[in-house]
Amino acid sequence: MLVFAASDKGGTGRSVTSANLAYQRALTGDHVAYVDFDFGSPTAAAVFDVPGAMRGTEESGLHSYLEGAVTEPARIDVWRQTEHPQLRARPNQAGRLVLLPGDAGGGEFATGEDALERCVDLLLRLHGEFDLIVVDLSAGRSYAVDMVLAATAHPRMRYVPFRWLVFHRWTRQHVIAAAGLVHKDHGIIRGGVERGHDEEALRGAVRFVRAAVPDPDSPLWSQGTPAQAAWMQSCDEALRRLAAEHRIGDSVVLGVVPLEPILQWREQLITEEDVLSTQIANKETLEALEEIARRLTDDDCWGRP
Amino acid sequence: MAPEGTPPPVVLACGEVRTCLLPALQALDSRSAAQLLGLRADERVLLSERPNVYGRSPDTLTGVDCPLPSANGARIRAVGTVAARASLTEGRVLQSSAHFRVPAAGPDHRRPWGHYLVRPGTVEPFGRLPHEAVAQGLLNGGRHGELDVGLIADGLLTRLLRHPLLDQRPPLKSRPTRLRWVALPAERDEGPSIERFTLAEDELRTVRLRVPPGTPSGEVAGLCDDLALHDWLLTTVVRILDGIRLGAAEPPARPRPRPGEDRPAVVTALRPAVDHLLHLWMPRARVAHELAPLWEALEDRPGFTRQWRTLVQRIRDQLALHAIPPLHREAEMTP
Repeated sequence: MLVFAASDKGGTGRSVTSANLAYQRALTGDHVAYVDFDFGSPTAAAVFDVPGAMRGTEESGLHSYLEGAVTEPARIDVWRQTEHPQLRARPNQAGRLVLLPGDAGGGEFATGEDALERCVDLLLRLHGEFDLIVVDLSAGRSYAVDMVLAATAHPRMRYVPFRWLVFHRWTRQHVIAAAGLVHKDHGIIRGGVERGHDEEALRGAVRFVRAAVPDPDSPLWSQGTPAQAAWMQSCDEALRRLAAEHRIGDSVVLGVVPLEPILQWREQLITEEDVLSTQIANKETLEALEEIARRLTDDDCWGRP
Repeated sequence: MAPEGTPPPVVLACGEVRTCLLPALQALDSRSAAQLLGLRADERVLLSERPNVYGRSPDTLTGVDCPLPSANGARIRAVGTVAARASLTEGRVLQSSAHFRVPAAGPDHRRPWGHYLVRPGTVEPFGRLPHEAVAQGLLNGGRHGELDVGLIADGLLTRLLRHPLLDQRPPLKSRPTRLRWVALPAERDEGPSIERFTLAEDELRTVRLRVPPGTPSGEVAGLCDDLALHDWLLTTVVRILDGIRLGAAEPPARPRPRPGEDRPAVVTALRPAVDHLLHLWMPRARVAHELAPLWEALEDRPGFTRQWRTLVQRIRDQLALHAIPPLHREAEMTP
């Protein structure tokens, strides 16, 4: 299964959340690859805490691979090469967790027919090897988005299942932007149809993840005044209405990630240790991530809403 | 041009083999295999059905002119051709294999291409070849720009994997492996021997061989293809068994079984091994007689076939266990 992580704007926590989903799936025994197609700003090395392993991949990352400079992109075995003390002890029965980094300092680039073929080669090879492949895409309607839309419409990829996760923050601006990224004229659906995707099938394969959502019922806000609580409640309802009007309402939401300082500031994987032992992360956040990770392959959560 | 005397003896052969599951739902029959492996219009695909179904492409040649890697940093430019071929075993396991041999010495200037083309699979050094240092350099893997026989094997594999015959629906998840080998001449009167067989990284194996002088490098490559195939089979089946959780309920993150597919997770995991892999074990099926003793050494230690038999038995036991109605089976397992 391929899962594409997209967002219209930066700052949605797309990379860190999708990396956490990859991590959660690996914990359950799946073999997981995390492919960093965030060509503008590759951040995966920081999220998985593998700065040392990144040295030496400057010229063999995904840019170099797609441009044909190397025949195989670098791979980093996260369990083995991470500097994160809690990750290094690979839990018993965990699956593989492999990062395919972008080149350090690589920017966006135009893709041609050759790059597309190589992209298809790569995704097919990963598909033969891993249960789940999470592809982190640059924000907006980027080259990366176009390339994977074309790749998944390629005849060689006809039997490879894929799904899209669109991340957005829970604000007016972000709701409108995320809906635009998917549904507008220059959006993912239209772009996909132009490249040969079936519109209904593609729609059924797109779900949204609301990130950094303040929960009015959370103890974090329980100290607030009644006026504050009422105001939050009404804003939340207004946003729900707005989302529904823009066709990204609850029926197409795969999950909601609570506002979590550790995701915002540390931009790293949330481990059980963070919740149970040092208690710097909220239990609700970890549970939300576990649930979204589970739903990635739960067919009941996908298809036509 | 002056007539050449006796060519200097070959002192080094080297190659790399990529082994992977054919990404197709059904194994290919012989005719389809011939289509897949027909890399050249002017030469036929070798097909054989005894003792197992096997197809091998004609050799393709890649011209090279670049430095050879060496363990001591010596810079040795070399020119010639690398031979590469692909093979398919039982329509299921695809291998691409590239190799070349190097004579002890060569001229210190580049000759016209015609010279190299009539010596397919030979790469000639400029001057004398420090073969021990180069052998180690090749096993360690060269730097960017140095001769990398793995690239040639991988390029051939990529080309084959794009073939329209393949529906890209592999019946199980598996990892490709790479086996890199070098063969140096054995001491006088000594038979062939394996000096070292290492599992370097997760997917890379390196093999260092000694073979009697004059052993054709194609035969050594054939032996290494066979080693790589069986090593891949062991690796793949071990991983399948690693992935099953005994006595555990369906892991929560796994997709729920569809109606009619409610067999136990263990059976679902082991079934592809039975369908596609267990019948492939056949060491030495196509290894030259003179090199066959090398297999005996591996059978002794680490004991390839011994491990394989244990794995096969474990799979059969698991499947037999799951043929017992769950009521009785679970009753036994609860402490």
